Amino acid sequence: MVNLTIDDKQVTAPKTATIYEAAKLNGVNIPILCHDKKLKPFGACRMCLVEVEQMKGRQIPACTTPVTEGMIIRTSTPDIIKARKMVLELLLLNHPLDCPVCDKAGDCDLQNLTYEYKVDSNRFVDEKFHHEIDYNNPLIERDMNRCVLCGKCARICDEIVSFGALTFIDRGIETKIGCEFEDGLNCEFCGSCISVCPVGSLLARPFKFKARFWSLTKQKSVCGYCGTGCNLTLGVKDNKVLTTLYDENQGFHKGQLCVRGRFGYQFINNEQRLTSPLIRKNGRLIESSWEEAFEVVAGRLKGGNSVAALATARLTNEELTLFRKLMLENVGSNNFDHSGGYAHSALTEGFTRSFGVAGSSSTILDVQKTDLLLVVKTDSYETHPVVGFEINMGVKNKGIKLNIISDKRGKLSKLPGANTFVHTPGSEVALLNAIAKTILDEKLTDASAASISGYAELEKGLAEFTPEAVATSSGVSADSIKKLARDYAAAEKALILFPVGLAYAGHNQEMASAAANLAILTGKLGKEGCGVLCLSEKNNSQGAVDMGFYAQNGGMDALKILDGCKNGSVKTLFIAGENPVVSYPDGAKVKAALDAVEFLVVSELFMTDTAAMADVVLPACSFAEKEGTFTSTDRRVQYVTPAIRKNVQCKTDFEILSALIVKLGGTAPASPSAVFAEISAGNSAYAGMSSVALRTEGAFTQLNLSPKLVVPKAAASLPAENGKLALVTGSALYHSGTLSQFGEGPMYVCPENYVEVSRKDAARFKIQDKDLVTVSSSTGNVQLKAKVTLRMPEGVVFVPYHFSAAPVNAIWNGAAVTTVTITK
Amino acid sequence: MNPITPIINGLAITLKHMFMKPVTLQYPDERPKVAPRFRGLHALNVSHNKAKCVACYLCPTVCPAKCITVEAGEDANHDKYAATYEIDMLRCIFCGYCVEACPVDAIRMTGEFELANYHRKDFIYNKERLLEKK
Ligand code: SF4
Ligand code: SF4
Ligand code: SF4
Ligand code: SF4
Ligand code: SF4
Ligand code: FES
Repeated sequence: MVNLTIDDKQVTAPKTATIYEAAKLNGVNIPILCHDKKLKPFGACRMCLVEVEQMKGRQIPACTTPVTEGMIIRTSTPDIIKARKMVLELLLLNHPLDCPVCDKAGDCDLQNLTYEYKVDSNRFVDEKFHHEIDYNNPLIERDMNRCVLCGKCARICDEIVSFGALTFIDRGIETKIGCEFEDGLNCEFCGSCISVCPVGSLLARPFKFKARFWSLTKQKSVCGYCGTGCNLTLGVKDNKVLTTLYDENQGFHKGQLCVRGRFGYQFINNEQRLTSPLIRKNGRLIESSWEEAFEVVAGRLKGGNSVAALATARLTNEELTLFRKLMLENVGSNNFDHSGGYAHSALTEGFTRSFGVAGSSSTILDVQKTDLLLVVKTDSYETHPVVGFEINMGVKNKGIKLNIISDKRGKLSKLPGANTFVHTPGSEVALLNAIAKTILDEKLTDASAASISGYAELEKGLAEFTPEAVATSSGVSADSIKKLARDYAAAEKALILFPVGLAYAGHNQEMASAAANLAILTGKLGKEGCGVLCLSEKNNSQGAVDMGFYAQNGGMDALKILDGCKNGSVKTLFIAGENPVVSYPDGAKVKAALDAVEFLVVSELFMTDTAAMADVVLPACSFAEKEGTFTSTDRRVQYVTPAIRKNVQCKTDFEILSALIVKLGGTAPASPSAVFAEISAGNSAYAGMSSVALRTEGAFTQLNLSPKLVVPKAAASLPAENGKLALVTGSALYHSGTLSQFGEGPMYVCPENYVEVSRKDAARFKIQDKDLVTVSSSTGNVQLKAKVTLRMPEGVVFVPYHFSAAPVNAIWNGAAVTTVTITK
Repeated sequence: MNPITPIINGLAITLKHMFMKPVTLQYPDERPKVAPRFRGLHALNVSHNKAKCVACYLCPTVCPAKCITVEAGEDANHDKYAATYEIDMLRCIFCGYCVEACPVDAIRMTGEFELANYHRKDFIYNKERLLEKK
């Protein structure tokens, strides 16, 4: 701490603080325009000028100058006010001043400062800018005429997003912010640049001219897409969610969002939302009353074990608890599951046996606190972009070492110093095992390891996973495997990350245990910056596991339930929010099963392919219309409250399930918070949490690790066949599950399914970028747009899974790797 | 005071007025001449064959009666215009704040004061009705 004087007040500040930070800490506000607390100091605008007595009263920028002991600072002398006025006059000199038609008005730093400093005339005259406005992309409008050249957009895109789409072009008065070759913007559309732009240069087009900033009600919420659990501020007007707003103080991510969180909100007020219960009569879904629908559904739920349920991991913890209660107590069936029954196996089976708990041992906060990151699959960026930002910042600012094992290269591979070890598809577990084997063989283990149960069995079980043997099957050299092992063991702190989800069938309990083994063997567990973080797919995947909404005690898992529909042992199937026809493997089989089942009830927001097959469809509510908790992938429990009033014709799943419980003779809980009280009383991990406290800030569930070493079974590698390609499935950056298809933003930039092919394969099969090709496997075939990229290795193709048109499950039956052929 | 004097004074005034110009207007046969600053029905100013309004939302923001509804639209040139502009005359208090707030001189108040009508819906003036008639 250093002592200094700011505006005649004796204050203290940390040694590392700048004058701006020190002043802010002590309640003195210095105006800024080009500074952002998330970015490195830049000093471009000179708005933050202050006087420091020791520097002979010279005016210096507060945002870039570090404090020193005994500094005497004045922040608002008449001279400084004059200087700031001059800065504003010069900025306004070329500024178009079209506030009436500028969407930034009301939230514009330049406007606010101009008002505050009463700059109502200009001593100078000059021409306005005549830059062409970039309307080339559907999401971000770039009007460089309004730009004040603060550089924040270019800096955030580089420092945090690590995309580098924007930069300064030209010099002097000609300077502007532009893209490569002065082209239109074509990037990952995370919108971070919009959020930091102090003026109206960068604006969200989906929100353009929709409403004024001051007329929006700001509602805090939690993103309903992936498991990162980013916090959102929704801009609401007339009961409609019109945009997402930036709040630099929100969440661990400080308001950063990915393209889905920022631009994918339109599904909430989508016109296609279901608004009335539908009952199938004479083969057609007919609008009906809730009473009638409940009557029909309740009648069909009285089938004991012949009733089964599938839920999406997007329901709240309270709803999942209620659903489980309905099934166990009122229906009398333990056949219920979520996420295909396999996407959660890393937690429910893998971590349960390796760590003794069905949850990741680390949190997202550990990413920036570690020394080495071992990332399985570059897809971790695409599945969880905001975790990806943490990786970017860790690697670029803190010098964290990044080792990646992946079946393709990706954005993470481009980070400075990143080592990507590209392996043959499906050999991840064998590779992790070989790393464990090397750690054992080279005695790189922690002293505590030998005493952990399963040590001897692991030594024996890994016998065949010598680096040399795995090198042949995985395509990663033995030396590289040894290097990975040595790097991991040598790092003081190391964190392993891997994504799971419906499209990552190979990321199962075996991968979880293989990763856990490394952490346990080297003692990198239960400490800051250490451990294993499983990135689960949906916003409440971890919650669904914590609430026990998966097959246990002999209950059928999701795939067995679908088999049961086909063979008649399941007569009634209740699907809440899940869309198995599109998202589960082998679509034809799923369709046949849903066709065969006697009675299908679906609660949904939209008429999805699954809902279209139902006997009863119940219109449900989105996260923005309900109350409850979500548990993020790193076990952070967060409370959401309704941001808008729901359509009177819709009911939340909580209300639907409560009504059904009552119909079946049970008693329904009073409110979601009453259920949460039950959860925190009954589930030790949630003990001590209260829904009132969670409303202000989320809290992590408790975790008691009891590590055990388990021998992970590695899948046999697929022999390469001549003329055939290995298909790997996964998530695309712009989408999450099948829900993002109803968010306009994601669909603007990634509207249809595609197949990513390497250049060599493209040349071999004479495929050009954007060609329509037929991809066939033993399961079927599908027509997809080809995308020829540099990142795919030869012989491997990638298809994402989110799309109901041209779904990947036409050619994919749930295998981690599928052999396919491509024809034009 | 002599009781007769007030009566005489009164009659004198009456007599004076018999020779003065009458104040009463024979409305509607006779029309009043409204002052230039009179605040009557609004009109949307036109320039280059287009309403000048750029849908900045300042008038609905300032309006104390909350009777102005503006919805902005984006035209083919990506410019902002008022896709909807409505004033509910039943609620308007003719304060003129909207005129004062407008940054582009797009709205003014005319001398038109005969606003009576038969149906409530007829008091909602949409953009078409508000556009100044030349
Ligand atoms: S950027 Fe700010 S000052 Fe410039 S036109 Fe827009 S609102 Fe007005
Ligand atoms: S949207 Fe994101 S990736 Fe695109 S330019 Fe802005 S910050 Fe960069
Ligand atoms: S576009 Fe915005 S954020 Fe980027 S330099 Fe200009 S004013 Fe700053
Ligand atoms: S989709 Fe995931 S990473 Fe993106 S904003 Fe939502 S929670 Fe965050
Ligand atoms: S005159 Fe006053 S009350 Fe009437 S529309 Fe204008 S601001 Fe509103
Ligand atoms: S805020 Fe300090 S120079 Fe811009």
